Amino acid sequence: METIGKSVYRKEAPDKVTGAAKYTADVQKPGMLHAKLVISPYAHARIKDIDISEARKMPGVRAVLTGQPTPLVGEEIRDRPPIAFGKVRYHGEPAAVVVADTPVQAQAAAERIRIAYEPLPVVNSPADALRKDAPLIHENLEQYEKGVMTYAEPNTNIASRIRIRKGDAAKGFSESDVIVENRISFAPSDHAAMETRCCVAEIAADGTVTIITSSQAPFMAKKIISAAFGVEIGKIVVHAPLVGGAYGGKSSVQWEIIGYLASKAVGGRPVKLDYTREEDLLTAPVHIGLDATVKLGCSKDGKLLAAEMVYLFDSGAYADKSPNLSRAGAVDCTGPYHIDHVSCDSLSVYTNHPYPSAFRGFAHSEVLFAFERTMDMLAAKLQMDPLALRRKNAIAPGHTTPTQVLLNTSNVGNLPRCLERLQELMNWEEGALIRLSDRKVRAKGISCIWKTSTIEPDASSGAVLLANPDGSINLVSGVVEIGTGTKTVLAQMLAEKLRMDVSRIHVKMEVDTQTTPEHWKTVASRGTFMAGRAVLAAAEDLIRQLKDIASRVLRCSPDDLEVGGERVFLRDDPKTGISIKDIAYGYTYPNGNAIGGQIIGRGNYILRHLTCLDPETGAGVPGPEWTVGAQGVVVEYDRRDHTYQILKAVSVIDIGNVLNAKAARGQVIGAMSMGLSFGGRETFEIDRNGIVLNPQLRTYRPLRFGEHPEYIVDFVETPQLDAPFGARGVGEHGLLGMPAALANALSLASGTDLNRLPLTPEFIWRTKRGTSHDSV
Amino acid sequence: MIPYDFEYYRPASVAEAIRLYGGLEKQGKSPVYYSGGTEIITLGRINLVKTGAVIDIKHIPECQVLGFEQNRLILGAGLSLTKLEEADPFPLLSKTAREVADRTSRNKITLGGNICGRIFYREAVLPFLLADSQVVLAGRDGIKRRSVHDVCNGNLRLDKGELLVQLLTERSYLELPHVSIKKRKQWETGYPLITVAALRKDDRIRVAFSGLCPFPFRSVELEEELNRRHVPLKTRVDQAVRRLPSPILNDIEGSAEYRIFVLRNLLEDVMEEMEGK
Repeated sequence: METIGKSVYRKEAPDKVTGAAKYTADVQKPGMLHAKLVISPYAHARIKDIDISEARKMPGVRAVLTGQPTPLVGEEIRDRPPIAFGKVRYHGEPAAVVVADTPVQAQAAAERIRIAYEPLPVVNSPADALRKDAPLIHENLEQYEKGVMTYAEPNTNIASRIRIRKGDAAKGFSESDVIVENRISFAPSDHAAMETRCCVAEIAADGTVTIITSSQAPFMAKKIISAAFGVEIGKIVVHAPLVGGAYGGKSSVQWEIIGYLASKAVGGRPVKLDYTREEDLLTAPVHIGLDATVKLGCSKDGKLLAAEMVYLFDSGAYADKSPNLSRAGAVDCTGPYHIDHVSCDSLSVYTNHPYPSAFRGFAHSEVLFAFERTMDMLAAKLQMDPLALRRKNAIAPGHTTPTQVLLNTSNVGNLPRCLERLQELMNWEEGALIRLSDRKVRAKGISCIWKTSTIEPDASSGAVLLANPDGSINLVSGVVEIGTGTKTVLAQMLAEKLRMDVSRIHVKMEVDTQTTPEHWKTVASRGTFMAGRAVLAAAEDLIRQLKDIASRVLRCSPDDLEVGGERVFLRDDPKTGISIKDIAYGYTYPNGNAIGGQIIGRGNYILRHLTCLDPETGAGVPGPEWTVGAQGVVVEYDRRDHTYQILKAVSVIDIGNVLNAKAARGQVIGAMSMGLSFGGRETFEIDRNGIVLNPQLRTYRPLRFGEHPEYIVDFVETPQLDAPFGARGVGEHGLLGMPAALANALSLASGTDLNRLPLTPEFIWRTKRGTSHDSV
Repeated sequence: MIPYDFEYYRPASVAEAIRLYGGLEKQGKSPVYYSGGTEIITLGRINLVKTGAVIDIKHIPECQVLGFEQNRLILGAGLSLTKLEEADPFPLLSKTAREVADRTSRNKITLGGNICGRIFYREAVLPFLLADSQVVLAGRDGIKRRSVHDVCNGNLRLDKGELLVQLLTERSYLELPHVSIKKRKQWETGYPLITVAALRKDDRIRVAFSGLCPFPFRSVELEEELNRRHVPLKTRVDQAVRRLPSPILNDIEGSAEYRIFVLRNLLEDVMEEMEGK
């Protein structure tokens, strides 16, 4: 292949490296006003009174907004007033909004809003939320509008419960020789993308709502605003320019709604709402927390017979994406193993924490941390090599998933091959624990990974190709460029298909929902698959039109023609043909007659054969394919002070086919870095009142360049037959096994089971001493 | 974005700076001396620093001095930490300063700003506490010299409007055997869980700490315990820990008891290294 597989530079690279790239916050409009939030300092409190009189009198103030009882918004459950009404349910929740001529004026006025709160008892963990005497965070859960795949339990704090029942877990355990049970937990954390969330909203005289936003989900923003506020959907135009890092955190719709309300309050003038870093960490949706128990049973030679899990996802104050997250965790609840008897209850549970959005991996790194830690504990109890245990149970074609999908050679990759490669790359034969000195040891930990993408069964993607008079092609797709380089990969696919130079394909970077065909959301590693299929379909359409018009000029059948090198030519006599530039805008005969017109290719793709899950057993087809892989971490650990360095991190992932070598490697390394950061350092420090103590980058610290280990990335290529060029998704997978592999390495190194995140030296020290981790 | 307006002044002399401060204070402007500005910007934007006027001391010649006079190193308070690292006149200071924040911030953070800042780690003062340095202060009563211990050991004791102009250190201290270790909550980024700096003078080991308490300090009593060479090291460390001032920090960087655990190990490492040097 000419272009596929090559490390083609990203189309937007020159703009980015010169600093010329424009993001939402760079937008300036004549007459633009500025909104500032007042956010809740409490995790749970009744709003007794809001006094806006002083704020209204401040210079430059155009409007002050406070909460209203309706409409409620939310993606899976409409449970959230865009601005808090009656009570606040998390630290950082928007409680009022000021619109003023300048950001400084808006801020000054916001500081003069007086809100009297009456603190309420705080629900501080999913486990606490399920206690009989737990305060109800949503008294009206029953009345809320809910999505079809959400199973709420009114009069409790359970926003959704997904049940997986495959085989007979009780029977599986009764046949087991060895059983282990484990509990894990971690608090919510954040995406901490470089670009904070921002939007500019305005409403034209004819009612057209225009929103520019840092979002992965511009099409969802359009739908949610239309549904909540009754705006005709065709009159909402959402623009998504380049996005400066998203990681799932910009797939929820929140700031756009507040921006819309703010513009509406000032007669439709453009209003910019630019979150501060603190608001970006606290107010905007976060990375989900989890409390879990995992019980595994196996035969004495290590064959997994039964698995029983309870996953309590920390839904925070509002449901938003959490019912989907708990569902995604449920469908892949076991890790990539063949197990006949599986039982899982996966709950999304309301608490008084900031509420979650998607996070790279969508519940998978979270569930895998629980499951893969338990796999290592099982291996220890069996006195079996943890890699051998995984190899013995590795999922393969012919097996079924927890939701009883039968796997074949296309819809699942080759996990045994990934494990073999990992074994070589980690020099597994030398042993997993090596003593370096009295104090220091080197230890290795591994984790298997898998993921399917549980997006809506009717999600679709479209693409339009427009020919230029010089024969080059413009590519328009609804994928938002969030930094993954997907649009460049789409251009590579098109170049390959049209057998032309990728530099002659011009990609439209910005998405606007009025002129760009919809791509459901730029999430779930679905860009190359869904948008890729749409682009290939559009290319077919384009080729058909090119051949049609060329056949008339060349006086032959379209069936005799080929397209390549920006020409259409006879298959058996390539010298006879016509340049695309001469037919791109139609063909003009010497006498002036013309036929055709601008060539416009169109294509779309909708996911196939996905189903809702059976409410009792979870049986159903949740996603199109499973990407699998095996990962490992090597640490050097100091047994005296429990500090450690990560020396190496290894990923072997079956991505079907490598479309852009360096881009793929970059995605995997970036994801591994996030996974190690989540595993080793990142967390919200939440006190007993539900207050987040570190809502700044001073104290919330993602992994920094220089702290990273040596990254080793390798790919296995088992094509997914229905995917463009056989490629599987790869945007998230590097992250998935990192927390578990790190915890497994450190558990081995420290001689103690480490079942919480992040894995800080203090946590290891406390666990060694047998005391609880409660430093705050 | 700093949500309030403030005036900016750029005095050319120490006397002018002091005069400006007095006048602005009288006008109720709550002035602050401004050097690198990192705290004013980052704390100002969340209203933790509120001021009506900043007095930029970077253009006062005395605050930019880096040189020797009569066997004494003179360092102006307006020198950036990067400048100090690069010129490296006091290797222990370079080592300690290099661990503060990140390079981009250290291009701005100044010696005086770090020592007189609100963020209480103030690690740059540790080497001066160990070297029994002197501070040059300017105030309404003119210029005076004081021991660094009187002003910077523990909570900062500057009078209102008093300006730290320079730090003076005897040359004989600059090349003494030393060690500087910063332990963080995790890896290489973040505030200190504990920073310890140590120096050996006349066969006695001096130690100073940041991150252990909400102020940097050097304790003579603690050093006494550590220097009882006839006593086994572990016992000395136990005794030294009993001499710690209070409170021991107990926050999101680490609990008080964990800090003590880390401190014990650190003290053992420091003593072993320093006694071997």
